[in-house]
Amino acid sequence: MQAVFTVLQEFLSVILYGIRIIIPLISVMIVISCFTSLRRGRRREDPVILLEDMVAHRAIPVLYWENSLGRSKSCDIVLNDMTASRSHAVLMRRESGWFVTDTDSKAGTFVNGKKIGEPTPVYPGDTIAMGSSALMLKPTGAGSAERPVRRVRRVASPFRLMFSVTLVQLLLCVLACFSGNKFHVGPFEVFGGLFVLEWALYLFSMKGLGRVTFELETMAFLLSGIGLMLIGASSVKTAWVQLAAAALGVVLFCVMIWFLNDLDRVMKFRIPIGAFAVLLFAANLLLAHERNGAKNWISIGGIGVQPSEFIKIAFIFVGASTLDRLQTARNLTGFIGFSALCMGALFLMRDFGTACIFFVTFLIIAFMRSGSVRTIALVCAVAVFGAFLIVKFKPYVAQRFSAWRHVWQYVNDSGGYQQTRVMSYSASGGLFGVGPGNGYVEKVFAGNSDLVFGMLCEELGLLVALVVLIAIALLMFYARSDATRSRSTFYSISACAAAGMILFQSCLNVFGVTDVLPMTGVTLPFISAGGSSMVAVWGLLAFIKASDERTYAARRHGR
Amino acid sequence: MKTTGTRSMILYILGIGFLFGLGVFLYGLFTEGGNWAMQPFNKHLNGGGQLSAGGGEILDRSGVVLAKSENGVRVYNSDETLRRAMLDAVGDTNGYISTGVQYCYRAQLSGYNLITGLTTPTGKSAGSNIQLTLDSSLCKLALQELGSRNGAVAIYNYQTGEMLCMVSTPDFDPQNPPEDLNTDKTGKYEGVFLNKVLSATYTPGSIFKLVTAAAAIEAIPDLDSRTWNCNGSITINGNKITDVASYGRLDFKNALAKSSNVAFSQIAIELGRDKMTAMANQLGFNRTFSLDGITTSKSVYHVTGTQDNELGWSGVGQYTDLTNPYHMMLLMGAIANGGTPVQPYLIQKITSSFGLVTQTGSAKTGEKLLSTQTAARLKTYMRYDVTKEYGDSMFPGLDVCAKTGTAEVGGGKKPNGWMVGFSSDSATPLAFAVVVENSRTGIGSAGQIASVLMKAAAKKMQ
Repeated sequence: MQAVFTVLQEFLSVILYGIRIIIPLISVMIVISCFTSLRRGRRREDPVILLEDMVAHRAIPVLYWENSLGRSKSCDIVLNDMTASRSHAVLMRRESGWFVTDTDSKAGTFVNGKKIGEPTPVYPGDTIAMGSSALMLKPTGAGSAERPVRRVRRVASPFRLMFSVTLVQLLLCVLACFSGNKFHVGPFEVFGGLFVLEWALYLFSMKGLGRVTFELETMAFLLSGIGLMLIGASSVKTAWVQLAAAALGVVLFCVMIWFLNDLDRVMKFRIPIGAFAVLLFAANLLLAHERNGAKNWISIGGIGVQPSEFIKIAFIFVGASTLDRLQTARNLTGFIGFSALCMGALFLMRDFGTACIFFVTFLIIAFMRSGSVRTIALVCAVAVFGAFLIVKFKPYVAQRFSAWRHVWQYVNDSGGYQQTRVMSYSASGGLFGVGPGNGYVEKVFAGNSDLVFGMLCEELGLLVALVVLIAIALLMFYARSDATRSRSTFYSISACAAAGMILFQSCLNVFGVTDVLPMTGVTLPFISAGGSSMVAVWGLLAFIKASDERTYAARRHGR
Repeated sequence: MKTTGTRSMILYILGIGFLFGLGVFLYGLFTEGGNWAMQPFNKHLNGGGQLSAGGGEILDRSGVVLAKSENGVRVYNSDETLRRAMLDAVGDTNGYISTGVQYCYRAQLSGYNLITGLTTPTGKSAGSNIQLTLDSSLCKLALQELGSRNGAVAIYNYQTGEMLCMVSTPDFDPQNPPEDLNTDKTGKYEGVFLNKVLSATYTPGSIFKLVTAAAAIEAIPDLDSRTWNCNGSITINGNKITDVASYGRLDFKNALAKSSNVAFSQIAIELGRDKMTAMANQLGFNRTFSLDGITTSKSVYHVTGTQDNELGWSGVGQYTDLTNPYHMMLLMGAIANGGTPVQPYLIQKITSSFGLVTQTGSAKTGEKLLSTQTAARLKTYMRYDVTKEYGDSMFPGLDVCAKTGTAEVGGGKKPNGWMVGFSSDSATPLAFAVVVENSRTGIGSAGQIASVLMKAAAKKMQ
């Protein structure tokens, strides 16, 4: 009897190991398909509409949704006209049609002979005069100007991709249910909840809203599923909290996509959102109770919330801007002030990791807005000086990082305890891991949040961990490559900032626990246990989703 | 929009940073992963010990199990004397003996590899088995011969390279480590974690005369027709270099056989610092060797800026000269083998848990230490030592060539006795180095052990 049992146990072990080999293979195929599909499905850079030069009778293609017009070589439509300003006006497409707006030019902009200031609608046949140039708006030859020209190419079906993700989750769920070679039903129930959530979003957005793309959501569910099942294997309760947070995140994602559709509304709400963020920080500083050396938690109705996670979203709202506003309000003073306030508050909370994330996001936004290397260099110099002052006058800050690059000398004290565990157990897991719930990183303090990368390597193996990281990195490369194809610079900047933020946070997390960078204690997006973090990362994903013009294109067709 | 697109390139900096960081992590994992995993706190290595429940077996050359894992604990051979004899080769459970196989090969023993880490598809962690070239019964005999004396014994087959005997004392029982092992202040465990064959630094004494002899053979053409007046002592720079007795006028081969300090210190001074240093370096002094990846200590010969009397003393293996038994054994192998030794090895075979042999030891030619002619002449002199001085009855039928040494160590301690040599009979190609601390003479201490062990080892070969 005993022998039979042993053989069965071994058989089960081999099956579970096989599943752990299959999971990274399917996952990597999903990630590759999602990104090829995203890239292939993009609009080609065909002219959206034409402008005819009334003097030279030359047709100028209009390639983007927002186009700067002016004498400067960096303008999207260059005017060979000494009387025009360097950046004279902006021609942009909005929900209701084409608009032109003057961007503080010397000579002024005229539509059909009338001088304009505010964004003014222009229709095919209307003439826009700037300096001594005159341009007439004309529809492109064959296609209607109202519909973006988009070539449909063969891409992976969204249903099949989502189905594969569910399959991966089911396999993960089997692993989680059999943690320690005993059967637990808990993870399966969590899987059921996740299944309902993801397919509800799928049906809502594909059938309900008639959208054509679901790749980003598919990816997010792949990553969230990996995180949920990893956590669920050791603590079903935490997994339920995490699932609830994911559901809230999905709701936030949908609401934000709806909200982001109307740029006028977005631009109007930027100041209130910024003010709300500052208030949230103030509330945090007043109400927070200290947890593990950082004061970044407040309790709302018994639920612990990390306000800084939500301020990340607000930060991007405040930072990003449409092209016409970029052209008129060139200096960054307001945004620099806001950023300084945010980072100051984070330093008071002693949340240095999040402060770094805000700083890097600030650099991305500031550079994309101004393009000024000098400003960036200056800001960096100030930051280095600030860091120097902090180290000088608050030596305990530097002490926190004293073990960096020699954690093996601090195996049993606070400087290197967590990192050495992560590295040792990561190596123990090999390529395919020891199985969810069978690891030891989860038993170390903050195992399923700050150290989750170690848990991932140990229990699911290096390959799954690499797939997760590569997916996050590809998210950033995708957001970047889509920058000129989005409907406004607001979307380009916010998507790049959000994707950059997610990737940088992942770097801080992964490289912090593996002693490549000093350890700062931030979460790994989508994977780490942490409600606020989970909700917020779905909010950040909404920025990337919104920057894809197809998100809104299909819905307009349906109208 | 175009400008915004161009400016978004800033994200590439972040992307490069990400790839760089990932590269650093993966490089560390691939090169250091075994060390990362082999930590005392790692609970995948069962019970928090150094080796898991599935830790592989260590076997001697004939398959005697020296160490294995059973029910989550490390178990050693049932014979206590044998356990103690193999301690330095096998290592202890806690990894204190850093030159032991259990420490140096802990990744293989625990089954660690990059693909599966410390786990296996069947869920049973299983390490590789390691078979050593050592003969455990020979090692046991060596330990018995050493008795309560501290010292080291090394024997290898200079044709195949197999290490046959590697024993170092003091020792302890790895199965039941004494309570006071780490707390003892009396010094009874001094050097207990040191494999003296590989890691000790002993004063060589008269066995160093072989180095001086090698230098003399190459630098003095009429060496065999020269004689030295050995009247018990000679005064150099006001410092007296003495012999045990007055031998009268001696030719070179008898000066070596009688081991005359008077003759050899004069020869060293005559050769000078450069020639002495060059020969010492050529023969492996001032550098380390590696036995299957386990690094030895460095033998030392350093005479730059010395007085003539110091140079004289250095030529007879005193002054600051230091060596280890492994190096001396290798030198014997070189002389026996015509100047170029066969590289000694310890690991016969590593077999993974599923039967795949991942490493095997075999005869590999080592680095040339001395010319064939010099080796041949040294061999003749050393054979004469045995026939004339030590007596062939010590090693009946083995045609042993050897040299003894009695190294003064000062500090009120009795000298260290040495004997190094080899059997010139190709049926018994054995080279040895034996050292016994705190003894009276080399021949009386190390010589007796060498005699017993060479006879036993040769018997096994015939």
